[in-house]
Amino acid sequence: MASPADSLAIDARALCRTFGAVRAVDGVDLEVRRGAVFGLLGPDGAGKSTLIRMLATVLSPGSGDAFVFGDSVVHAHRRVTPRIGYMSQRFSMYPDLTVAENLEFFARIRGVPTAQRRVRAASLLESMGLAEFADRQAQHLSGGMKQKLMLASTLMHEPDLLLLDEPTTGVDPVSRREFWRIIGDLRAAEKTVLVATPYMDEAERCTDIAFMESGRIPHRGTPDEVKALVPGTLFELTAPDPRAALAALSDAPGVTSAHLYGDVVRVLSAPHGPDADALLGTVRAAGVAASEVRPAHVDMEAAFAFLAEQRGEDS
Amino acid sequence: MIAAALSRIGAIARKEFIHIGRDPRMLIAVLVVPVMQLLLFSYAISFDVKNVPTVVLDQDMTSASRAYLQTYRSTDFFNVKGSIDGLASIDDVFRRNLAQIAVVVPAGFGRSLARSEKAQVAVIVDGTEPNAAQLGQAYAIALNQVYGNRVLAEWGDRQGIDIAQAGRLEPRVRTWYNPERRSADFLIPGLMVVIIMIVTVQQTAVTLVRERDLGTQEQMMVSPLRLPELMIAKLLPWTFLAFVDMVVIAIVGIGFFGIPLRGSVVFLAVAAALFVFAALGMGLIISALAPSMESANIIALLIAFLPAFILSGFAFPLESIPPFLQGVSYLFPARYMIIISRGVFLKGAGFAELWPQLALLGGYSVLVVVIASVLYGRRAAR
Repeated sequence: MASPADSLAIDARALCRTFGAVRAVDGVDLEVRRGAVFGLLGPDGAGKSTLIRMLATVLSPGSGDAFVFGDSVVHAHRRVTPRIGYMSQRFSMYPDLTVAENLEFFARIRGVPTAQRRVRAASLLESMGLAEFADRQAQHLSGGMKQKLMLASTLMHEPDLLLLDEPTTGVDPVSRREFWRIIGDLRAAEKTVLVATPYMDEAERCTDIAFMESGRIPHRGTPDEVKALVPGTLFELTAPDPRAALAALSDAPGVTSAHLYGDVVRVLSAPHGPDADALLGTVRAAGVAASEVRPAHVDMEAAFAFLAEQRGEDS
Repeated sequence: MIAAALSRIGAIARKEFIHIGRDPRMLIAVLVVPVMQLLLFSYAISFDVKNVPTVVLDQDMTSASRAYLQTYRSTDFFNVKGSIDGLASIDDVFRRNLAQIAVVVPAGFGRSLARSEKAQVAVIVDGTEPNAAQLGQAYAIALNQVYGNRVLAEWGDRQGIDIAQAGRLEPRVRTWYNPERRSADFLIPGLMVVIIMIVTVQQTAVTLVRERDLGTQEQMMVSPLRLPELMIAKLLPWTFLAFVDMVVIAIVGIGFFGIPLRGSVVFLAVAAALFVFAALGMGLIISALAPSMESANIIALLIAFLPAFILSGFAFPLESIPPFLQGVSYLFPARYMIIISRGVFLKGAGFAELWPQLALLGGYSVLVVVIASVLYGRRAAR
C-alpha cells in the first residue's frame, strides 16, 4: 500500500505506541513534504524520540502506520531503511574505534561500495571540520564533535530523509550554530530533514514545525503560521523587580498572558487590549517601579509559552 | 546478495578484532589467562601424590627396623622428614602440618621377624586431606606388601622352601592409556575443554549486550544487516581465538607436560569446532536474556564455570555425583567434549568410537544457536 501523496517524505497516520501504562505517542498524524526541514519541538518526555524511532523502523508502532516515501514502516521496513539516515539522541558509535573506522564500519554494513566510502568519508570529514581528528578514537571527541561524527555516519549512504533526534542537545553554542549550518546545506542538497529539539529558538531555522506534548501534536505549520496563532500584541517590560511587575500584570484586564523571560516580563495583550503606556500605568499603579515597556516581535519561545498556557486553560 | 552479506559479516568480524586488539584486558583474558590457568591448574590440582611428608618413629632400633624404614626413604612417594621420639609427638607433627604420615615401628619388630613371627608396624595417616591420605595409605599398604613378600622369600630361602612354587594368587593391576597414572594426562585434555568453555561463553555473553548498551544495535537495525549475519559475524572471531587457545594449550600440554596425542588431530578439530559453536551459542543465549553487561558477566561465569568444573567429568568422575546432577550434566556441552578430548588424546579414539558424542555435540550446537537467534530476535523486536 503506497501513499497517494508522492510529494510527501513522511505520512504518519494515527501512530500510537505505549510503554506499559504510558502512552508515549498517542495518535499522531504527521505529514512532512519532501525538501522540508521539519522541526519537532517539545519538552522532554513529549514522545519525540518514540515517534522518530517508529519512523526510523527501529521501534514498531503499537497501532497506526507511517509511510516513508510511500513505504510502510510496519510492512516494508527493508525498503524504508536504505532511504533514511537515523541519528539517535544518545551517542551510538563505538568509543574504541576511530572516527574514520566508525564511518567505514557503518557505511560497510549499509552496503556503500568501497570507492564511494573513501570519497564520501573524506568529503564529509572535511566539510564538518573533523578531517584532522580522523584517527582519534570516538571516546576522545568533544560533545559537538561526537554529534558531527554521528551525522556524518548517517550521511555516508546518502539518504533522502534524515531523522535527527535532538542532535544539538548538550552541545556548545558554537557547535550548535555549526550544526544548523550543515542542516542548511542538506536542505540545499534537497534532502528532507526531520529534527527533534527542545530548543524553541531552533524552530526559527525550520521550514515547518510541529509542537509535540504528551504524545500528541496540537499545533503545526510554518513558523509564521504558528506565531500567527498568537492573537494580540507582545510587550516586553523591564523592571528592577520583574517578579513584582509580573504579579501586578498577571490579572490585569486585557492581558492574555504574562510570564518571565529572563529578566524581562513578557506580556501578551489581547486584540484591542492595553497598549504600552497602559501597561506601564498598570504596573506603576500597583506601586511597582518599571523602567520601560516596548512592543516585541512574537518569537517561537513566546508563541509556545502562550499556546501551552492556552491548552492548559482548555483542559 | 551473498557478496553483500559476506561484506557485512566481514565488516563486523573485522570490527570485533579491533575491539579485542584495543582492549588490553580482553587480550589478556583471551590469550594469557588460558595459558596461566593451564599452568596453575596443572600444578595446583595435581592429583599425583608424591613426596608425602612423613615422619618415622623407630622404637625397635634394630637393623631390621632400620632396613624396613629405609624402604620409605628410597621411594618418591614418601618424603621422610625425620624421626620423632614418641607417640605423643605424632599429634604435634600433624597439627603443625610437618607431616601427613607417621610410620611407627614398635619395639620387638626385629625379634619377631627373626623368630618368623608376625611383626606389626603402625602407619598413621592424617585424614584432613582425604585425597592425599587415601593415596598415602594405599602406597603404604603396597610398600608393606612388597616388604612382607621379601621377608617371606628370605624366610623361605632359609628354610629351603621355594616360596614361588607355593600356590599363590598374585593380582597384577595394569593401568592402560596412562600407565603411570600421571594426572597431567588426565587433566590437560579436560582442562582444554574447560578453559575454552570459560573464555567463549564469557566473551560472547557480553558482546551482544554491549551493542545494545552502546546504541549501535539501532544503527544495525537501520542497515540491511540480518540477524543470522550478525550472529555468524559475532561468532567468527571468537571461534578463531578459541582455536588459537586450544592449539596453544595442546602445544604446552604436549611439549611441556609430555601428554600424548594419539588420535586424529582432524577429528579433534571438528569436534572442537562444534563444541566452540555450542559454547558460543550458550553465550548468545545469555546475551539475549541478560538485562545488562554486569548480569551477563555474572550469569556467564555461573553457567560456564560451575558446570564446566563440576558437571563435565573434568575433575570428578560423573558416576560419583548424585543422579540428579548427573542428569543436569547432560545439558552442558563440556561433558561430551571432555570424553572426546580424552579419547583422542589418550586412547587414540576417533569417529568410530566417539561418534555418539560428536552427534550429540552437533545437535546441541545447532539447537543452542537456534534458541539464541529466536530469543535475540524476540528481544530486538522493533
